[in-house]
Amino acid sequence: MVMKLQYIDIEIDKLTNSLENVTTGDSFQTDIIITDQNDFEFITKKDGWLFNWKDEFKKPDRDVYKLTIVNNQKVIQGLVSLSVKADHVYMHLIESAPFNRGKNKVYAGVPGNLVAFACKLSFQRGFEGYLSFLSKTNLIDHYEKTLGAIHTGGQLMVINTNAALKLTNKYFDK
Amino acid sequence: MGLIKEPRDIDFYVDPRPLTKEEEKRISDFIKADKKKHKRRKMIKINTNA
Repeated sequence: MVMKLQYIDIEIDKLTNSLENVTTGDSFQTDIIITDQNDFEFITKKDGWLFNWKDEFKKPDRDVYKLTIVNNQKVIQGLVSLSVKADHVYMHLIESAPFNRGKNKVYAGVPGNLVAFACKLSFQRGFEGYLSFLSKTNLIDHYEKTLGAIHTGGQLMVINTNAALKLTNKYFDK
Repeated sequence: MGLIKEPRDIDFYVDPRPLTKEEEKRISDFIKADKKKHKRRKMIKINTNA
């Protein structure tokens, strides 16, 4: 059986306390909550999403969380799929909404928010913030610089306690 | 933290697979070693300050 690879390949655009409207510079406070089945009606490839999140949601070993703007919970700004392992949290997938990708994105800060949330979950589960994920090779440097992630060989990246503290303090210090 | 240079396109590709046993072990070994390293640093700091 040929094993197919799944890499995390997302550009961390900016670390912000919330989401920032790229055009106006206005900031918006965010919520991150677990998804339910009703969330996936418009989270399809036809709607511009790149991953099959409905399938991801159905997998029993992981939870899919959505990032929304406070008081505007119908519009999903980004999604992350996480598993709680024996000693850390593992990030399977992360994706910004189609309108938050590329040079014409509406909001900056989606991936940073979601990664910080994953670190927070790791602290809450008693894993001291440790988070791991598989990165695409050409983004390893980027994750090292923006997230403080450590490259542990191959495509494996780990965010340790120090880096996780910086991220969670940035996003969840209030 | 400043703005990070934006790529023109963000491409994702995905083929679902779980971590291999070897990768899981590698992560766990790294975490154990990293925790030990930081504990040692903390102890050295405490001793220096004493």
